[in-house]
Amino acid sequence: MSQTCIRVKELVKTYKDLTAVNRMSFDVRTGEILGILGPNGSGKTTTLKSILGIIEFDEGSIEVNGLSVKGRRKEVLKDMGAILEGARNIYWHLSPRENLTYFSGIRGIPQKTISGRIDYLLESLELSDVADKEVRQFSSGMKQKCALACAFIYNPSILLLDEPTLGLDVEISRTIRNWLLNVVEKEGKTILITSHNMDFIESICDRILIIRRGEIISHETVASLKEKFARKYFRIDLESEPQNSLLDTIATLGSVSATGSSVRVELESANHLIPLMKVLEEADIRMLDFQTVENDLEDIFLEVIREEEE
Amino acid sequence: MKFVNLIIAEAKMLIWTLRRYLFNTMMGFGVMFLIFMGMFWGLKTIGGSGVTDDSLDSMLVGYVLWVSAMLAIQNTGNEITSESRMGTLEQLYLSPIGADKIFFVKAVINMAFNFVFITVMLYLSMAATGRWMNVNLPYLYGMVLLSTLSLVGISFMMGGIGLIHKRINSVNGILAFGLIGLMLLPTYPITPYAFLPFVAGAAAVRNSIVRGHVYPIWWYLFVAGNSLLYLMLGLFVFAKMEKKARRLNKMGQY
Repeated sequence: MSQTCIRVKELVKTYKDLTAVNRMSFDVRTGEILGILGPNGSGKTTTLKSILGIIEFDEGSIEVNGLSVKGRRKEVLKDMGAILEGARNIYWHLSPRENLTYFSGIRGIPQKTISGRIDYLLESLELSDVADKEVRQFSSGMKQKCALACAFIYNPSILLLDEPTLGLDVEISRTIRNWLLNVVEKEGKTILITSHNMDFIESICDRILIIRRGEIISHETVASLKEKFARKYFRIDLESEPQNSLLDTIATLGSVSATGSSVRVELESANHLIPLMKVLEEADIRMLDFQTVENDLEDIFLEVIREEEE
Repeated sequence: MKFVNLIIAEAKMLIWTLRRYLFNTMMGFGVMFLIFMGMFWGLKTIGGSGVTDDSLDSMLVGYVLWVSAMLAIQNTGNEITSESRMGTLEQLYLSPIGADKIFFVKAVINMAFNFVFITVMLYLSMAATGRWMNVNLPYLYGMVLLSTLSLVGISFMMGGIGLIHKRINSVNGILAFGLIGLMLLPTYPITPYAFLPFVAGAAAVRNSIVRGHVYPIWWYLFVAGNSLLYLMLGLFVFAKMEKKARRLNKMGQY
Protein backbone atom coordinates (compact mmCIF):
# COMPACT_ATOMS: atom_id res chain seq x y z
CA MET A 1 0.00 0.00 0.00
CA SER A 2 1.43 3.38 -1.02
CA GLN A 3 1.89 6.19 1.45
CA THR A 4 -0.42 9.16 1.57
CA CYS A 5 1.35 12.27 0.31
CA ILE A 6 -1.57 14.71 0.27
CA ARG A 7 -4.23 14.62 2.97
CA VAL A 8 -7.18 16.96 2.69
CA LYS A 9 -9.46 16.92 5.72
CA GLU A 10 -12.80 18.67 6.15
CA LEU A 11 -11.73 21.48 3.80
CA VAL A 12 -14.04 24.50 3.74
CA LYS A 13 -13.69 27.62 1.62
CA THR A 14 -16.35 30.28 1.30
CA TYR A 15 -16.49 33.55 -0.64
CA LYS A 16 -19.07 35.80 1.02
CA ASP A 17 -22.32 33.83 0.58
CA LEU A 18 -20.90 31.18 -1.74
CA THR A 19 -19.50 27.95 -0.36
CA ALA A 20 -16.90 26.90 -2.93
CA VAL A 21 -15.65 23.86 -1.00
CA ASN A 22 -17.78 22.22 1.65
CA ARG A 23 -16.15 19.78 4.10
CA MET A 24 -14.15 17.99 1.47
CA SER A 25 -11.87 15.15 2.58
CA PHE A 26 -9.64 12.94 0.45
CA ASP A 27 -6.15 11.48 0.27
CA VAL A 28 -3.70 11.25 -2.60
CA ARG A 29 -1.27 8.35 -2.49
CA THR A 30 2.35 8.54 -3.56
CA GLY A 31 2.78 7.55 -7.20
CA GLU A 32 -0.86 7.73 -8.22
CA ILE A 33 -2.73 9.98 -10.61
CA LEU A 34 -5.91 11.29 -9.07
CA GLY A 35 -8.43 13.08 -11.28
CA ILE A 36 -10.94 15.65 -10.11
CA LEU A 37 -14.03 15.96 -12.25
CA GLY A 38 -16.83 18.42 -11.79
CA PRO A 39 -18.95 20.99 -13.59
CA ASN A 40 -17.74 24.58 -13.85
CA GLY A 41 -17.72 26.27 -10.46
CA SER A 42 -17.78 23.00 -8.55
CA GLY A 43 -14.64 23.84 -6.54
CA LYS A 44 -11.92 21.96 -8.48
CA THR A 45 -9.53 24.88 -8.90
CA THR A 46 -10.21 26.20 -5.40
CA THR A 47 -9.22 22.80 -4.03
CA LEU A 48 -6.00 22.72 -6.06
CA LYS A 49 -5.05 26.27 -5.12
CA SER A 50 -5.79 25.55 -1.45
CA ILE A 51 -3.34 22.65 -1.56
CA LEU A 52 -0.73 25.01 -3.02
CA GLY A 53 -1.50 27.66 -0.40
CA ILE A 54 -2.40 30.22 -3.06
CA ILE A 55 -5.88 30.35 -1.58
CA GLU A 56 -6.31 30.62 2.17
CA PHE A 57 -9.01 28.18 3.23
CA ASP A 58 -11.40 28.81 6.14
CA GLU A 59 -11.62 25.45 7.90
CA GLY A 60 -10.10 22.00 7.81
CA SER A 61 -6.52 20.99 7.19
CA ILE A 62 -4.25 20.09 4.30
CA GLU A 63 -1.05 18.15 4.77
CA VAL A 64 1.54 17.49 2.09
CA ASN A 65 4.19 14.91 2.95
CA GLY A 66 3.09 15.28 6.58
CA LEU A 67 3.58 19.08 6.59
CA SER A 68 0.72 21.50 7.13
CA VAL A 69 0.13 23.81 4.16
CA LYS A 70 -1.04 26.56 6.51
CA GLY A 71 1.93 26.49 8.83
CA ARG A 72 4.80 25.36 6.60
CA ARG A 73 3.84 26.48 3.12
CA LYS A 74 7.34 27.30 1.92
CA GLU A 75 8.64 23.86 2.90
CA VAL A 76 5.63 22.22 1.25
CA LEU A 77 6.30 24.12 -1.98
CA LYS A 78 9.80 22.70 -2.27
CA ASP A 79 8.31 19.44 -3.49
CA MET A 80 5.34 20.66 -5.53
CA GLY A 81 4.93 22.00 -9.04
CA ALA A 82 1.79 23.21 -10.77
CA ILE A 83 0.18 24.46 -13.94
CA LEU A 84 -2.72 26.69 -13.03
CA GLU A 85 -3.45 28.87 -16.01
CA GLY A 86 -2.32 26.56 -18.77
CA ALA A 87 0.16 27.99 -21.23
CA ARG A 88 -0.28 31.46 -19.68
CA ASN A 89 1.86 30.23 -16.79
CA ILE A 90 5.04 30.91 -18.77
CA TYR A 91 6.67 34.00 -20.27
CA TRP A 92 5.79 34.18 -23.94
CA HIS A 93 8.51 36.70 -24.75
CA LEU A 94 11.19 34.23 -23.62
CA SER A 95 12.33 30.96 -25.18
CA PRO A 96 11.63 27.57 -23.53
CA ARG A 97 15.26 27.40 -22.36
CA GLU A 98 15.08 30.89 -20.85
CA ASN A 99 11.77 30.05 -19.15
CA LEU A 100 13.23 26.89 -17.66
CA THR A 101 16.35 28.73 -16.48
CA TYR A 102 14.28 31.50 -14.92
CA PHE A 103 11.82 29.22 -13.12
CA SER A 104 14.64 27.17 -11.60
CA GLY A 105 16.49 30.38 -10.66
CA ILE A 106 13.58 31.88 -8.72
CA ARG A 107 13.52 28.69 -6.68
CA GLY A 108 17.17 29.24 -5.85
CA ILE A 109 18.49 26.44 -8.06
CA PRO A 110 21.77 27.29 -9.85
CA GLN A 111 21.81 26.96 -13.63
CA LYS A 112 24.93 24.77 -13.52
CA THR A 113 23.09 21.98 -11.73
CA ILE A 114 19.94 22.27 -13.81
CA SER A 115 21.29 22.41 -17.39
CA GLY A 116 21.15 18.61 -17.79
CA ARG A 117 17.53 18.54 -16.67
CA ILE A 118 16.66 21.40 -19.02
CA ASP A 119 18.05 19.39 -21.96
CA TYR A 120 16.25 16.24 -20.79
CA LEU A 121 12.88 18.01 -20.51
CA LEU A 122 13.28 19.79 -23.84
CA GLU A 123 14.14 16.55 -25.55
CA SER A 124 11.49 14.38 -23.92
CA LEU A 125 8.79 16.93 -24.73
CA GLU A 126 10.08 17.34 -28.29
CA LEU A 127 11.00 20.99 -27.79
CA SER A 128 14.74 20.75 -28.51
CA ASP A 129 14.42 22.18 -32.02
CA VAL A 130 12.62 25.26 -30.75
CA ALA A 131 14.47 25.58 -27.46
CA ASP A 132 15.80 29.05 -28.29
CA LYS A 133 12.77 30.42 -30.11
CA GLU A 134 10.25 32.79 -28.59
CA VAL A 135 7.30 30.93 -27.00
CA ARG A 136 4.94 33.54 -28.50
CA GLN A 137 5.47 31.92 -31.93
CA PHE A 138 4.38 28.46 -30.74
CA SER A 139 1.10 26.62 -31.22
CA SER A 140 -1.12 26.11 -28.13
CA GLY A 141 0.13 22.55 -27.78
CA MET A 142 3.78 23.54 -27.80
CA LYS A 143 3.14 26.32 -25.30
CA GLN A 144 1.41 23.82 -23.03
CA LYS A 145 4.33 21.40 -23.32
CA CYS A 146 6.66 24.25 -22.37
CA ALA A 147 4.48 25.05 -19.32
CA LEU A 148 4.63 21.38 -18.38
CA ALA A 149 8.43 21.39 -18.62
CA CYS A 150 8.56 24.48 -16.38
CA ALA A 151 6.38 22.79 -13.76
CA PHE A 152 8.76 19.79 -13.79
CA ILE A 153 12.03 21.71 -13.94
CA TYR A 154 12.96 21.45 -10.26
CA ASN A 155 11.95 17.82 -10.20
CA PRO A 156 9.11 17.99 -7.66
CA SER A 157 7.54 14.71 -6.62
CA ILE A 158 3.99 16.15 -6.62
CA LEU A 159 2.36 17.88 -9.58
CA LEU A 160 -0.96 19.70 -9.58
CA LEU A 161 -2.32 20.25 -13.07
CA ASP A 162 -5.42 22.36 -13.65
CA GLU A 163 -6.94 21.61 -17.05
CA PRO A 164 -3.65 20.64 -18.74
CA THR A 165 -5.30 19.74 -22.04
CA LEU A 166 -7.78 22.62 -22.30
CA GLY A 167 -8.09 23.72 -25.91
CA LEU A 168 -5.59 21.18 -27.23
CA ASP A 169 -6.15 18.79 -30.11
CA VAL A 170 -6.32 15.02 -29.72
CA GLU A 171 -2.74 14.42 -30.81
CA ILE A 172 -1.16 16.85 -28.36
CA SER A 173 -3.45 15.63 -25.56
CA ARG A 174 -2.24 12.11 -26.28
CA THR A 175 1.41 13.18 -26.29
CA ILE A 176 0.96 14.91 -22.93
CA ARG A 177 -0.89 11.90 -21.52
CA ASN A 178 1.85 9.49 -22.60
CA TRP A 179 4.54 11.78 -21.25
CA LEU A 180 2.82 12.06 -17.86
CA LEU A 181 2.25 8.31 -17.65
CA ASN A 182 5.90 7.73 -18.43
CA VAL A 183 7.00 10.20 -15.75
CA VAL A 184 4.76 8.59 -13.14
CA GLU A 185 6.02 5.13 -14.03
CA LYS A 186 9.72 5.96 -14.24
CA GLU A 187 10.08 8.69 -11.64
CA GLY A 188 7.25 7.79 -9.27
CA LYS A 189 5.62 11.20 -9.41
CA THR A 190 2.23 11.89 -7.87
CA ILE A 191 -0.23 13.86 -9.97
CA LEU A 192 -3.47 15.56 -9.05
CA ILE A 193 -5.28 16.64 -12.16
CA THR A 194 -8.49 18.43 -13.11
CA SER A 195 -9.89 18.26 -16.62
CA HIS A 196 -13.06 18.41 -18.65
CA ASN A 197 -11.48 16.02 -21.15
CA MET A 198 -13.11 12.74 -20.11
CA ASP A 199 -11.08 10.56 -22.45
CA PHE A 200 -7.91 12.08 -21.05
CA ILE A 201 -9.01 11.54 -17.44
CA GLU A 202 -10.22 8.01 -18.15
CA SER A 203 -6.96 7.02 -19.78
CA ILE A 204 -4.59 8.53 -17.24
CA CYS A 205 -6.16 8.44 -13.77
CA ASP A 206 -6.07 5.66 -11.19
CA ARG A 207 -8.87 7.16 -9.15
CA ILE A 208 -11.46 9.85 -9.79
CA LEU A 209 -13.16 12.31 -7.49
CA ILE A 210 -16.42 13.69 -8.82
CA ILE A 211 -17.33 16.90 -7.09
CA ARG A 212 -20.32 19.15 -7.28
CA ARG A 213 -21.02 22.39 -5.43
CA GLY A 214 -17.87 21.88 -3.39
CA GLU A 215 -18.75 18.38 -2.19
CA ILE A 216 -17.43 14.99 -3.20
CA ILE A 217 -20.24 12.92 -4.66
CA SER A 218 -18.14 10.01 -5.89
CA HIS A 219 -14.66 8.81 -5.05
CA GLU A 220 -13.67 5.60 -6.80
CA THR A 221 -11.20 3.97 -9.13
CA VAL A 222 -11.95 4.34 -12.82
CA ALA A 223 -12.58 0.59 -13.07
CA SER A 224 -15.06 0.42 -10.18
CA LEU A 225 -16.84 3.53 -11.39
CA LYS A 226 -17.29 1.98 -14.81
CA GLU A 227 -18.37 -1.31 -13.29
CA LYS A 228 -20.87 0.38 -11.01
CA PHE A 229 -22.41 2.48 -13.73
CA ALA A 230 -21.98 0.04 -16.61
CA ARG A 231 -24.91 0.46 -18.96
CA LYS A 232 -25.64 -0.40 -22.51
CA TYR A 233 -27.95 1.64 -24.63
CA PHE A 234 -29.02 1.87 -28.23
CA ARG A 235 -28.13 4.76 -30.43
CA ILE A 236 -30.49 5.07 -33.35
CA ASP A 237 -29.75 7.51 -36.15
CA LEU A 238 -32.90 8.46 -38.03
CA GLU A 239 -33.32 10.17 -41.37
CA SER A 240 -35.11 13.12 -39.77
CA GLU A 241 -35.87 14.45 -36.31
CA PRO A 242 -38.43 12.24 -34.53
CA GLN A 243 -41.80 13.68 -33.55
CA ASN A 244 -42.65 14.00 -29.87
CA SER A 245 -45.40 11.38 -30.21
CA LEU A 246 -42.80 8.81 -31.33
CA LEU A 247 -40.51 9.66 -28.42
CA ASP A 248 -43.47 9.37 -26.00
CA THR A 249 -44.24 5.88 -27.33
CA ILE A 250 -40.61 4.79 -26.99
CA ALA A 251 -40.58 6.20 -23.45
CA THR A 252 -43.06 3.48 -22.43
CA LEU A 253 -40.27 0.94 -23.12
CA GLY A 254 -37.41 2.71 -21.37
CA SER A 255 -35.65 6.02 -21.02
CA VAL A 256 -35.24 8.02 -24.19
CA SER A 257 -33.52 11.20 -25.24
CA ALA A 258 -32.95 12.75 -28.63
CA THR A 259 -30.34 15.09 -30.05
CA GLY A 260 -31.42 16.14 -33.49
CA SER A 261 -32.10 13.00 -35.47
CA SER A 262 -30.06 10.80 -33.12
CA VAL A 263 -32.08 8.96 -30.48
CA ARG A 264 -30.65 7.33 -27.39
CA VAL A 265 -32.76 4.55 -25.87
CA GLU A 266 -32.07 2.61 -22.70
CA LEU A 267 -34.57 -0.23 -22.49
CA GLU A 268 -35.99 -1.34 -19.17
CA SER A 269 -35.69 -4.93 -20.26
CA ALA A 270 -34.18 -6.87 -23.15
CA ASN A 271 -37.72 -8.07 -23.93
CA HIS A 272 -38.54 -4.57 -25.06
CA LEU A 273 -36.22 -4.76 -28.04
CA ILE A 274 -38.74 -6.27 -30.44
CA PRO A 275 -41.52 -3.84 -29.41
CA LEU A 276 -39.01 -0.99 -30.00
CA MET A 277 -38.37 -2.23 -33.52
CA LYS A 278 -42.09 -2.43 -34.12
CA VAL A 279 -42.65 1.14 -32.91
CA LEU A 280 -39.96 2.39 -35.23
CA GLU A 281 -41.33 0.46 -38.15
CA GLU A 282 -44.85 1.77 -37.55
CA ALA A 283 -43.58 5.32 -37.29
CA ASP A 284 -42.62 5.07 -40.93
CA ILE A 285 -39.31 6.81 -40.42
CA ARG A 286 -36.11 5.57 -42.05
CA MET A 287 -33.37 4.26 -39.79
CA LEU A 288 -29.83 5.10 -40.92
CA ASP A 289 -27.97 3.34 -38.16
CA PHE A 290 -28.71 1.24 -35.08
CA GLN A 291 -25.97 0.35 -32.63
CA THR A 292 -25.37 -0.82 -29.10
CA VAL A 293 -23.17 1.56 -27.13
CA GLU A 294 -21.51 1.11 -23.76
CA ASN A 295 -21.54 4.21 -21.62
CA ASP A 296 -18.22 5.99 -21.29
CA LEU A 297 -16.88 8.16 -18.50
CA GLU A 298 -18.74 11.17 -19.82
CA ASP A 299 -22.05 9.29 -19.53
CA ILE A 300 -21.09 8.09 -16.07
CA PHE A 301 -20.14 11.60 -15.00
CA LEU A 302 -23.45 12.98 -16.19
CA GLU A 303 -25.33 10.14 -14.53
CA VAL A 304 -23.58 10.69 -11.19
CA ILE A 305 -24.33 14.40 -11.37
CA ARG A 306 -27.95 13.72 -12.37
CA GLU A 307 -28.43 11.21 -9.53
CA GLU A 308 -27.06 13.73 -7.08
CA GLU A 309 -29.44 16.40 -8.34
CA GLU A 310 -32.41 14.05 -7.94
CA MET B 1 23.29 30.85 -2.14
CA LYS B 2 19.62 30.51 -3.05
CA PHE B 3 19.27 34.27 -2.87
CA VAL B 4 22.27 34.71 -5.18
CA ASN B 5 20.66 32.37 -7.72
CA LEU B 6 17.46 34.38 -7.46
CA ILE B 7 19.40 37.60 -8.15
CA ILE B 8 21.11 35.99 -11.17
CA ALA B 9 17.74 34.76 -12.49
CA GLU B 10 16.18 38.22 -12.17
CA ALA B 11 19.21 39.93 -13.77
CA LYS B 12 18.98 37.49 -16.68
CA MET B 13 15.25 38.11 -16.98
CA LEU B 14 15.91 41.85 -17.27
CA ILE B 15 18.58 41.34 -19.96
CA TRP B 16 16.42 38.88 -21.92
CA THR B 17 13.46 41.26 -21.78
CA LEU B 18 15.51 44.29 -22.88
CA ARG B 19 16.98 42.25 -25.73
CA ARG B 20 13.61 40.83 -26.80
CA TYR B 21 12.00 44.27 -26.88
CA LEU B 22 15.05 45.85 -28.46
CA PHE B 23 13.12 48.53 -30.32
CA ASN B 24 11.45 49.72 -27.11
CA THR B 25 14.81 49.62 -25.29
CA MET B 26 16.50 51.69 -28.01
CA MET B 27 13.63 54.17 -28.03
CA GLY B 28 13.95 54.50 -24.24
CA PHE B 29 17.66 55.25 -24.62
CA GLY B 30 16.92 57.70 -27.43
CA VAL B 31 14.25 59.64 -25.52
CA MET B 32 16.42 59.85 -22.40
CA PHE B 33 19.40 61.03 -24.48
CA LEU B 34 17.29 63.73 -26.12
CA ILE B 35 15.98 64.96 -22.76
CA PHE B 36 19.51 65.29 -21.34
CA MET B 37 20.76 66.94 -24.52
CA GLY B 38 17.84 69.33 -24.38
CA MET B 39 18.67 70.27 -20.82
CA PHE B 40 22.41 70.75 -21.40
CA TRP B 41 22.32 72.51 -24.67
CA GLY B 42 18.81 73.56 -25.61
CA LEU B 43 17.94 75.43 -22.43
CA LYS B 44 21.27 77.24 -22.43
CA THR B 45 20.64 78.38 -26.00
CA ILE B 46 16.98 79.28 -25.60
CA GLY B 47 17.27 80.72 -22.08
CA GLY B 48 20.30 82.80 -22.95
CA SER B 49 21.91 84.74 -20.10
CA GLY B 50 18.90 84.13 -17.83
CA VAL B 51 19.99 80.50 -17.34
CA THR B 52 22.98 80.23 -15.03
CA ASP B 53 25.25 77.19 -14.70
CA ASP B 54 23.96 76.64 -11.16
CA SER B 55 20.33 76.64 -12.14
CA LEU B 56 21.06 74.23 -14.99
CA ASP B 57 22.92 71.90 -12.62
CA SER B 58 20.06 72.17 -10.14
CA MET B 59 17.56 71.21 -12.80
CA LEU B 60 19.65 68.25 -13.93
CA VAL B 61 20.06 66.98 -10.39
CA GLY B 62 16.34 67.41 -9.90
CA TYR B 63 15.66 65.50 -13.09
CA VAL B 64 17.94 62.59 -12.10
CA LEU B 65 16.26 62.50 -8.69
CA TRP B 66 12.79 62.59 -10.16
CA VAL B 67 13.43 59.87 -12.78
CA SER B 68 15.04 57.59 -10.20
CA ALA B 69 12.21 58.21 -7.75
CA MET B 70 9.50 57.71 -10.34
CA LEU B 71 10.97 54.41 -11.54
CA ALA B 72 11.37 53.21 -7.95
CA ILE B 73 7.85 54.10 -6.86
CA GLN B 74 6.18 52.46 -9.86
CA ASN B 75 8.30 49.33 -9.91
CA THR B 76 6.53 46.71 -7.80
CA GLY B 77 3.03 47.87 -8.69
CA ASN B 78 3.83 47.68 -12.39
CA GLU B 79 5.54 44.30 -12.00
CA ILE B 80 2.50 42.83 -10.22
CA THR B 81 0.07 44.23 -12.79
CA SER B 82 2.23 42.89 -15.59
CA GLU B 83 2.72 39.41 -14.07
CA SER B 84 -0.97 39.20 -13.29
CA ARG B 85 -1.92 40.17 -16.84
CA MET B 86 0.46 37.61 -18.34
CA GLY B 87 -0.77 34.84 -16.02
CA THR B 88 2.60 34.20 -14.38
CA LEU B 89 1.92 35.79 -10.97
CA GLU B 90 0.77 32.56 -9.35
CA GLN B 91 3.93 30.80 -10.51
CA LEU B 92 6.00 33.35 -8.58
CA TYR B 93 3.93 32.47 -5.52
CA LEU B 94 4.92 28.83 -5.93
CA SER B 95 8.56 29.63 -5.21
CA PRO B 96 9.64 28.49 -1.75
CA ILE B 97 11.87 31.57 -1.57
CA GLY B 98 8.74 33.74 -1.38
CA ALA B 99 7.16 36.19 -3.79
CA ASP B 100 7.98 39.16 -1.52
CA LYS B 101 11.70 38.42 -1.87
CA ILE B 102 11.31 37.92 -5.63
CA PHE B 103 9.66 41.33 -5.98
CA PHE B 104 12.27 42.95 -3.75
CA VAL B 105 15.08 41.54 -5.90
CA LYS B 106 13.23 42.71 -9.03
CA ALA B 107 13.03 46.22 -7.53
CA VAL B 108 16.74 46.29 -6.64
CA ILE B 109 17.82 44.96 -10.04
CA ASN B 110 15.62 47.50 -11.83
CA MET B 111 16.98 50.31 -9.66
CA ALA B 112 20.56 49.26 -10.40
CA PHE B 113 19.79 49.17 -14.11
CA ASN B 114 18.14 52.58 -13.99
CA PHE B 115 21.19 54.06 -12.25
CA VAL B 116 23.51 52.70 -14.93
CA PHE B 117 21.11 53.87 -17.63
CA ILE B 118 20.84 57.42 -16.29
CA THR B 119 24.61 57.69 -15.71
CA VAL B 120 25.41 56.58 -19.25
CA MET B 121 22.91 59.07 -20.62
CA LEU B 122 24.27 61.85 -18.43
CA TYR B 123 27.88 61.30 -19.53
CA LEU B 124 26.95 60.79 -23.18
CA SER B 125 25.07 64.07 -23.15
CA MET B 126 27.93 65.90 -21.41
CA ALA B 127 30.38 64.51 -23.97
CA ALA B 128 28.08 65.39 -26.86
CA THR B 129 27.54 68.99 -25.72
CA GLY B 130 31.01 69.55 -24.30
CA ARG B 131 29.45 71.05 -21.19
CA TRP B 132 30.70 69.17 -18.13
CA MET B 133 28.60 69.39 -15.02
CA ASN B 134 30.22 70.02 -11.67
CA VAL B 135 28.47 67.19 -9.81
CA ASN B 136 29.77 64.69 -7.29
CA LEU B 137 28.15 61.63 -8.88
CA PRO B 138 29.06 59.03 -6.19
CA TYR B 139 27.44 61.31 -3.60
CA LEU B 140 24.42 61.89 -5.84
CA TYR B 141 23.82 58.19 -6.46
CA GLY B 142 24.59 57.19 -2.88
CA MET B 143 21.97 59.61 -1.65
CA VAL B 144 19.48 58.69 -4.36
CA LEU B 145 19.86 55.03 -3.43
CA LEU B 146 19.48 55.77 0.27
CA SER B 147 16.39 57.90 -0.14
CA THR B 148 14.65 55.93 -2.90
CA LEU B 149 14.56 52.87 -0.61
CA SER B 150 11.62 54.62 1.08
CA LEU B 151 9.91 54.74 -2.30
CA VAL B 152 10.54 51.02 -2.79
CA GLY B 153 8.50 50.65 0.40
CA ILE B 154 5.70 52.80 -1.10
CA SER B 155 6.01 50.73 -4.27
CA PHE B 156 5.43 47.56 -2.24
CA MET B 157 2.31 49.14 -0.73
CA MET B 158 1.11 49.88 -4.27
CA GLY B 159 2.04 46.32 -5.27
CA GLY B 160 -0.09 44.98 -2.40
CA ILE B 161 -3.02 47.08 -3.60
CA GLY B 162 -2.28 45.81 -7.13
CA LEU B 163 -2.69 42.21 -5.94
CA ILE B 164 -6.29 42.97 -5.03
CA HIS B 165 -7.29 45.62 -7.58
CA LYS B 166 -4.93 44.68 -10.46
CA ARG B 167 -5.05 47.97 -12.36
CA ILE B 168 -3.31 50.73 -10.44
CA ASN B 169 -1.72 52.65 -13.32
CA SER B 170 -3.69 55.82 -12.63
CA VAL B 171 -2.58 55.89 -8.97
CA ASN B 172 0.99 55.27 -10.09
CA GLY B 173 0.75 58.24 -12.42
CA ILE B 174 -0.52 60.51 -9.64
CA LEU B 175 2.29 59.36 -7.35
CA ALA B 176 4.92 60.02 -10.00
CA PHE B 177 3.84 63.61 -10.49
CA GLY B 178 3.21 64.12 -6.78
CA LEU B 179 6.90 63.42 -6.32
CA ILE B 180 7.80 66.69 -8.06
CA GLY B 181 5.96 68.57 -5.34
CA LEU B 182 7.52 66.46 -2.59
CA MET B 183 11.02 67.18 -3.86
CA LEU B 184 10.55 70.93 -3.40
CA LEU B 185 9.36 70.84 0.23
CA PRO B 186 11.62 72.42 2.90
CA THR B 187 12.98 69.89 5.39
CA TYR B 188 16.06 71.24 7.21
CA PRO B 189 16.86 71.63 10.09
CA ILE B 190 13.72 69.59 10.72
CA THR B 191 10.17 70.19 9.54
CA PRO B 192 7.14 67.87 9.49
CA TYR B 193 7.78 67.36 5.75
CA ALA B 194 11.06 65.63 6.56
CA PHE B 195 9.07 62.66 7.87
CA LEU B 196 7.50 62.06 4.48
CA PRO B 197 9.20 59.44 2.28
CA PHE B 198 12.06 60.59 0.03
CA VAL B 199 11.68 64.32 0.86
CA ALA B 200 14.61 64.64 3.30
CA GLY B 201 17.02 62.77 1.02
CA ALA B 202 15.99 64.68 -2.08
CA ALA B 203 16.43 68.04 -0.35
CA ALA B 204 19.86 67.01 0.95
CA VAL B 205 21.03 66.04 -2.53
CA ARG B 206 19.79 69.25 -4.10
CA ASN B 207 21.22 71.56 -1.44
CA SER B 208 24.56 69.74 -1.15
CA ILE B 209 25.30 69.50 -4.84
CA VAL B 210 23.94 72.79 -6.10
CA ARG B 211 24.32 75.10 -3.09
CA GLY B 212 27.24 73.38 -1.40
CA HIS B 213 25.34 72.93 1.85
CA VAL B 214 27.09 70.62 4.36
CA TYR B 215 24.82 68.40 6.44
CA PRO B 216 25.71 66.88 9.82
CA ILE B 217 25.97 63.09 10.13
CA TRP B 218 22.73 62.83 12.14
CA TRP B 219 20.86 64.13 9.10
CA TYR B 220 22.11 61.26 6.97
CA LEU B 221 21.18 58.84 9.72
CA PHE B 222 17.73 60.42 9.77
CA VAL B 223 17.41 59.93 5.99
CA ALA B 224 18.51 56.28 6.35
CA GLY B 225 16.06 55.71 9.22
CA ASN B 226 13.25 57.33 7.28
CA SER B 227 13.95 55.08 4.27
CA LEU B 228 14.18 51.96 6.37
CA LEU B 229 10.94 52.77 8.16
CA TYR B 230 8.98 53.23 4.92
CA LEU B 231 10.57 50.12 3.43
CA MET B 232 9.53 48.03 6.43
CA LEU B 233 6.06 49.59 6.39
CA GLY B 234 5.74 48.81 2.67
CA LEU B 235 6.75 45.18 3.18
CA PHE B 236 4.29 44.89 6.08
CA VAL B 237 1.40 46.30 4.05
CA PHE B 238 2.36 44.03 1.13
CA ALA B 239 2.27 40.96 3.39
CA LYS B 240 -1.16 41.99 4.72
CA MET B 241 -2.56 42.57 1.22
CA GLU B 242 -1.07 39.30 0.01
CA LYS B 243 -2.89 37.49 2.80
CA LYS B 244 -6.10 39.24 1.84
CA ALA B 245 -5.57 38.34 -1.84
CA ARG B 246 -5.14 34.70 -0.82
CA ARG B 247 -8.29 34.80 1.25
CA LEU B 248 -10.31 36.34 -1.60
CA ASN B 249 -8.69 34.20 -4.34
CA LYS B 250 -7.48 37.31 -6.16
CA MET B 251 -3.98 36.12 -6.89
CA GLY B 252 -4.41 34.98 -10.46
CA GLN B 253 -7.36 37.01 -11.64
CA TYR B 254 -6.74 39.98 -13.88
